[in-house]
Amino acid sequence: MTVSRAFWKIALKNIGTIILYTNMLVLFGTMNINSGSTTAQFEAAKPTVVVFNHDKEAGVTKGFLEYLNKNAEVSKDYADDDRLKDALFYEQVTLVIDIPEEYHQEFALGHDPELKMRSSAGYSAELAKVIVRRYLTAAKAYSTLGLNDNELASKVEKSLEKEIDVELKTKADTAKYSTATRYFSFANYSILACVITIICLIMMSFNRMEVRKRNLVSSIEISKMNRTLLKNCCIYSLGVWALFVIIGFFVLGFDVLWSIHGLLYIANTLIFAGCATTVAFLVSQFVTSQGAVSGMMNVIALGSSFLCGAFVPAEYLPGAVLGFAHIMPSYYFIDASNKIMALEDYSFASLLPILINMAIVLVFAIGFALITNYVSKKKQKIA
Amino acid sequence: MFFHNYKYALKTLLKNKALVFWTLAFPFILAIFFNLAFARLHDYDQFEPFDIAIVRDDAYNNEQTFAAAFKTLTSGDERMFKAKYVDFDEADKMLDEEKVEGIVYVKDGQAHVKIKGNGTNQTVLKMTTEQVAQMSGMIDDIADAEQQRAGGTLNLIEVKMKAAEIVQNAQPKISDDSHVMNVVSIEFFTLIAMACMQGAMLSSEMLNRCLPNLSHRGKRVAIAPTKKSVVVLSNLLAGYTMLLGSVILLILFMRFVLGVDFGDNMGLIMLLASIGSLTATMFGMLLAVMFKMSDNAKQVVVLIITMVGCLFAGMFGGMKIFFDEACPWMNKINPVGLITDGFYSLLYYDDMTRFIVNALSLVALAAIFFVLSVRNLRRARYDSV
Repeated sequence: MTVSRAFWKIALKNIGTIILYTNMLVLFGTMNINSGSTTAQFEAAKPTVVVFNHDKEAGVTKGFLEYLNKNAEVSKDYADDDRLKDALFYEQVTLVIDIPEEYHQEFALGHDPELKMRSSAGYSAELAKVIVRRYLTAAKAYSTLGLNDNELASKVEKSLEKEIDVELKTKADTAKYSTATRYFSFANYSILACVITIICLIMMSFNRMEVRKRNLVSSIEISKMNRTLLKNCCIYSLGVWALFVIIGFFVLGFDVLWSIHGLLYIANTLIFAGCATTVAFLVSQFVTSQGAVSGMMNVIALGSSFLCGAFVPAEYLPGAVLGFAHIMPSYYFIDASNKIMALEDYSFASLLPILINMAIVLVFAIGFALITNYVSKKKQKIA
Repeated sequence: MFFHNYKYALKTLLKNKALVFWTLAFPFILAIFFNLAFARLHDYDQFEPFDIAIVRDDAYNNEQTFAAAFKTLTSGDERMFKAKYVDFDEADKMLDEEKVEGIVYVKDGQAHVKIKGNGTNQTVLKMTTEQVAQMSGMIDDIADAEQQRAGGTLNLIEVKMKAAEIVQNAQPKISDDSHVMNVVSIEFFTLIAMACMQGAMLSSEMLNRCLPNLSHRGKRVAIAPTKKSVVVLSNLLAGYTMLLGSVILLILFMRFVLGVDFGDNMGLIMLLASIGSLTATMFGMLLAVMFKMSDNAKQVVVLIITMVGCLFAGMFGGMKIFFDEACPWMNKINPVGLITDGFYSLLYYDDMTRFIVNALSLVALAAIFFVLSVRNLRRARYDSV
């Protein structure tokens, strides 16, 4: 009781820092899911294109514009060239097309009029280019038949109407849970940063040499004191986890989180929060200043987030990086989130890989707790 | 006296482990993390052929144009797919076991694609199959038209081959004026900007040590027979030297070790980095003079301001354009945003106007911070410290 009281007394002294850090990091997590990923996935989404048409809307030009409207998002918001350049860089616009004057007439006459375009980087731009080339290739091929302007456009339109059947062999609604996965993967950073910073700040007071010496000569056993401290650290982590989940309900929606998928995300994050607590408890044995706490927090939280796929999806990480990531609990936590997203049914066989990942995180947590106890005992002898 | 002070201030800074970590080690560590995490995002143009299963049955063999096109796409050095020709059940099993990314088959004269998941390869497969099916239709259309024109007297195989040649040679004239730059570069630019801004800790720490109301050393300095301007400027210069040195090292590390593309204007890159460092130094000075806080508290304030600045400047998932649209003034007064935008405009824009505006804005901010600090520093008298 005395230990717990002292713990929360110190926590209250740092309440400003606790509120600031906790809210800031949870807020960062929330903003991250709204920012959109820089790593655009090449899904069957329509690319955004901007068209500057200097030609009349007739013949091939008219057909081309109609085809673009059907297959791409044609934006009219970019009159300012600087804004357009920025939008191209940030891949908000993937292709800019300049149709010159008398394009359709030149085309119908069998000449080879030039179309100008500028594209962004990324797969979406390649998709937009494929759409443009597909229409113009068809138009050029049919122009050899000597058709008039309108016949040519309708022939091209008809030939490009041919679509193939795509059968998707999965029941998992990955689109529905992709935002939730991003939110909970980012928790790797938020939870680690929050928990390490605050727990280390509090534990630093207990680990100060003079306080530690007083504690060692007191009647309370060191292992019991460690257990009590760990228990209180867990209560704080539980609070961070609860805050993250409550905000998740607002950000992701009740229907996403109040489902078996949602509950699995929540359980996975709870286990990880426990593991983060033991990491923080271990780190607190070594740090002696606030600067060192911030340094350790950043190296651990940012390092694991970058290397295990919290910021960049794991599929985009080099194999060697992912191989190295296997030695960190964050990898199994983020991998479990990805597996929850792809979950097709709730049979034991489907849930098993997720449960194995959760168990591995738990094993890491137990390992960190045991190491902390060992380090603490070693320090007792030195003291 | 100026250089004597400067030398010892520099020595003091280099011995401060926390400051060395934040200004020197931390940006390097982040740069390595960025490079590891974003390594594959650099290679947009690299395309690796992937495995697909093609169901080769009578229906597939009957669609000769379609089958011939897929034969081309799956053979040679520039193939798009590594194809395995199997029956439908085998193909389905391979898809289940994720040995292939998708299945292509023909049913009732129609091309079909079966996939599991929705990723890049799946979309490439879908788009390519669709294009092949459409081109096959085009070849048939053109061959029919030629046949009709000749009154049905032409050899069917010859006319189809001629039609295929027409479709294959139908290359529209498109000029591509793209100036493609990887969006990931912005992460490295914000990192340099962050390194500059975190340098505010250095000048803040050094000024704290000169002010009698903030440290015991400050009290001793205040009664020493040295001009305050000499003490303050030598300490500031020491902070600036260390910051600029670490930022230049960071840029060189990114350029020559990590291979980050900074274009051909390394001189201007260094100029902007030095202006950014100057702004950060002045900001640290202002922070030290205006707020009576401990060194640790000031470090936390600098860290928070820098991280929020990084958020607005686009370090966390391309938020820069969102803030530029939502509140355009935000990144006009955010030093991290100005430095980032300076690097970006230097590499992405053909004219220098935007770069110059960013550089001048940083100089203006530095001047404002300096004037405000000097106003507070001048003729300061303490009744009690």
